[in-house]
Amino acid sequence: MPSSEAYTRRGTEAPLLRVENLSIQYGGVLALQPISFDTREHSLTLVLGPNGAGKSSLLRALAGTIPLRSGRILLAGQDVTTVPAYRRVRRGIALVPEGRGRLPTLSVRDNLILGWNSAPSALREPQDAAIAEMFQLFPVLRERLNQDCNTLSGGEMQMLAIARGLLAKPRVLLLDEPSLGLAPLAIARVYGALGTLNADGLAMIIVEQKVVPLPHVPLTTLVLHNGRVRFHEARYPSDDELARLYLGEGAES
Amino acid sequence: MRELRLGLVETATLCLVAAMVIGAAFFGSRLVLYNLTIIALFATVVISLNLLLGLAGQASFAQTAFMAIGGYGLAILSKTFQVNPWLAIAVAVLVSLVLALLIGRVLLRLRGHYLSMGTLALALGTFSFVNASTITNGGWGISGVPPLLIGSFSFRDPVAFLILAWALCGASLLVYRLLGTSHVGRAWRALSTRQDVSATLGIDVPRYKLIALMIASVMATLAGALYVSFTRFVGPDLYDIAQVINLMFMLFVGGLRSTVGPIVGAAFVILVPQFGAGLERYQNLVFFLLLLLVILLRPTGLFGRTRGTRARKNVLPPWTLRFRGGAR
Repeated sequence: MPSSEAYTRRGTEAPLLRVENLSIQYGGVLALQPISFDTREHSLTLVLGPNGAGKSSLLRALAGTIPLRSGRILLAGQDVTTVPAYRRVRRGIALVPEGRGRLPTLSVRDNLILGWNSAPSALREPQDAAIAEMFQLFPVLRERLNQDCNTLSGGEMQMLAIARGLLAKPRVLLLDEPSLGLAPLAIARVYGALGTLNADGLAMIIVEQKVVPLPHVPLTTLVLHNGRVRFHEARYPSDDELARLYLGEGAES
Repeated sequence: MRELRLGLVETATLCLVAAMVIGAAFFGSRLVLYNLTIIALFATVVISLNLLLGLAGQASFAQTAFMAIGGYGLAILSKTFQVNPWLAIAVAVLVSLVLALLIGRVLLRLRGHYLSMGTLALALGTFSFVNASTITNGGWGISGVPPLLIGSFSFRDPVAFLILAWALCGASLLVYRLLGTSHVGRAWRALSTRQDVSATLGIDVPRYKLIALMIASVMATLAGALYVSFTRFVGPDLYDIAQVINLMFMLFVGGLRSTVGPIVGAAFVILVPQFGAGLERYQNLVFFLLLLLVILLRPTGLFGRTRGTRARKNVLPPWTLRFRGGAR
């Protein structure tokens, strides 16, 4: 298991990730109104909201795969807004994409090596050791190592996608609906692992549509609806609040 | 060399091909030598296509344009300007690399059908240009291309040329295999399906696509040049739309992403019409029926990975069931 020091590389005053007035536009449609928030070291940020709220767009913008309409992204005080996606991952922002990012014709090992290869070279452990660490977290990957990742079940692929993201040695891990389409047992397993990782000090931003079995950890919750922030507090919203927020009549926070 | 090992069938086929080439070098008739040489050169172009389409997922139809640069480059420089043929080929390769660099950034930004249409336009444009230009001697083409020489030894000798052609084919196959199993190949396969995911895995997608195009262009240029050196003639018809389609047939009959597939596919497309020579005008009909049969029975090609393809079951009527047994 990676030690907590692995995730706190530079002690800085600035928050680990600062998002300033970030907005996203597709064609003429504003997918996300200007949004600002901070993510601290070791912290957990949960982004909730119904379909089309702009959650995935937010994560893609943070990972660098879609352009911003406005705003800045600061990683440990450094502006990474114009850093292309393939270099941003080396800076420490890794994405576990929506739909798990299956890459047909690549074996489980290939996937893990791709993740390992995207880590900054200074932090890269020997390949076999780094991959063996992932087997401790997700033992099932060891059995599937030489299979095409197209043959994995949804839960297995989600574990692979998370392992792939972790091998990049991120400072903050972005997870886009890790529970999507998984059986309750698989969700429990995935979130069990995420809880362990967060307890070890990995900062995460998790996007979900529905309530997930999150371990009781201090977190910041953002609720988005139609591209607007409806809720932004350092706690988990109550069921009543969530119901109101999802129906779109919540008070502006 | 952990992943370099080929499957049993592919290894056996490769050995068979090698044995045939060596046998032909000693005992082959003129026709056998001719056919085997042509197969090696087309297989090289198909290997380049396999690298571009099979590994990197870029459906490019522009390989005939690079073949034309090789062919016309050699013919014009060595015949019209009396440049040493080897140097002419080297210049042609450089021109192809520069062209790949210039068009790559623009063309490879296109995806799916748009990339196919864009590169097809390039192929058609190449044909029109060489057909109309005076420097290429228009529709007449250029004949009497001087032979390749090493000292006093001439590659006019068909056996020597056979070995040269297969050396190029073998080298291309090795490059395909080495790159395919390396980090570059992994990056290509990743970006072939998900460019966004690949980018978040640290892959510089435009750069890797450009690398694929440049390597493929070198292979096609070399094969195109050797083809012209072999037949001593270059004309526009070598690079027309039928040739573009032929290359695609070769690739898909052999099997996308298979290592020996391009050789088998090239052999199929070159040899099968010759067997039907006695059928006169039905020759093409028989060829296309056979082609259709291969595609229906083995949608992933003769050497394609059938893994994950269930289409065949739904495509064919039930009575074909008994033929399917042999098709793994």
